[in-house]
Amino acid sequence: MFTQNPQTLGMPEGTYVFDLRTCNRRLAFNRFFWNMIRPEARQAFWDDEEAAMRAAGLDDEEMALVRARDWLGIVQAGVNFFVLEKWARVVRKTNLEVYAIMRGESFEEFMQTRAVPHAR
Amino acid sequence: MARIIGGIGTSHVPTIGVAYDKGRQEDPVWAPLFEGYKPVAKWLAEKQPDVLLFFYNDHATTLFFDLYPTFALGVGERFPIADEGAGLRGLPDIRGDVDFQAHIGEALVNEEFDLAFFQNKPIDHGIASPLPLLWPHEPDWPGTVVPIAINVLQYPLPTARRCYRLGQAVRRAVESYPEDLKVVVVGTGGLSHQIHGERTGFNNTEWDLDFLETLRDDPERLTQLTHADYVRLGGAESVEQIMWLAMRGALGASLEEMHRNYYLMTTTAMTVVTYEERENAAVGSQREREVA
Repeated sequence: MFTQNPQTLGMPEGTYVFDLRTCNRRLAFNRFFWNMIRPEARQAFWDDEEAAMRAAGLDDEEMALVRARDWLGIVQAGVNFFVLEKWARVVRKTNLEVYAIMRGESFEEFMQTRAVPHAR
Repeated sequence: MARIIGGIGTSHVPTIGVAYDKGRQEDPVWAPLFEGYKPVAKWLAEKQPDVLLFFYNDHATTLFFDLYPTFALGVGERFPIADEGAGLRGLPDIRGDVDFQAHIGEALVNEEFDLAFFQNKPIDHGIASPLPLLWPHEPDWPGTVVPIAINVLQYPLPTARRCYRLGQAVRRAVESYPEDLKVVVVGTGGLSHQIHGERTGFNNTEWDLDFLETLRDDPERLTQLTHADYVRLGGAESVEQIMWLAMRGALGASLEEMHRNYYLMTTTAMTVVTYEERENAAVGSQREREVA
């Protein structure tokens, strides 16, 4: 039976709570991204993305999200951003670029919303 | 006796580390950030603390979600700075004082803060982003670090009140150590930012400034907020500010804010604040009442 953690009651839209249930459902997917802190895991991904995903035990939905570089979809599926950003380094995306994608904006559009638009 | 001589609140944005490593201190875009840390570094150089005790969070680097502790204290003479996906940074390993770390751990557990402990693990940008802006590192860091990691990633998180009380317990732990160590407590993270989901890019400067005033003068009020309150007011990842409350709990009732720098460049309100305690009898007696 689902019980509501009072800590997360009233979370705003566009925010995805990473909790014990999410983690339980998506542990292997989170671990796949976490592994990118090790050079050999990064190399294995660059060498053969499909083999790396299979070895990590990702399911079909997860593999499709990775292939599509669907950053928002990966978060919505239940990946914590702080393991996801490790993979962003591997596929040569800056955090700012990932932020723009999650908002559904081009990089330039997104930067125009920032206090220092030419910051990098 | 060891004693706390001040406190620092600081953001731990990873790109601060990248900009530091690339030597962008004079870059007009980054200068307002780096200039803002100079008075803090100067203050530390003058005060010469032996120890920086950090309340920070690991970003699922040192620790993974298969066993993710609510509070974890690091014990070791050296902690490498972590590879977070982009390789190593070329900074010396963080230094530690094992006897002091162990004492803090023992004192906290004996006060019923049942921490986890980690050894021989790297530490990520939760400490490593601001550290070189606070302390010089050539040829080596001038002092040691006590790392206390707080879970702000996987709900349930410790409550704001629990973090504040952890800070109060840390003060008692520090003051029960016989060696004359000077300790500065540091809380990292924040201020307003959200970096996941469609709400990415949320900021709230009005709330940030209100938080800083309240943290200094009436921190108990901030312990009454829920995590959803912090998320709504400052963005999902601003919930890190409960770690500033841990730092605040370790300081006396009446604080002087010695320095503040606030720079919202892109997505995180990058902030650094330095505090000293107002030394007067009333402060001491109030602190004793709190402890009692």
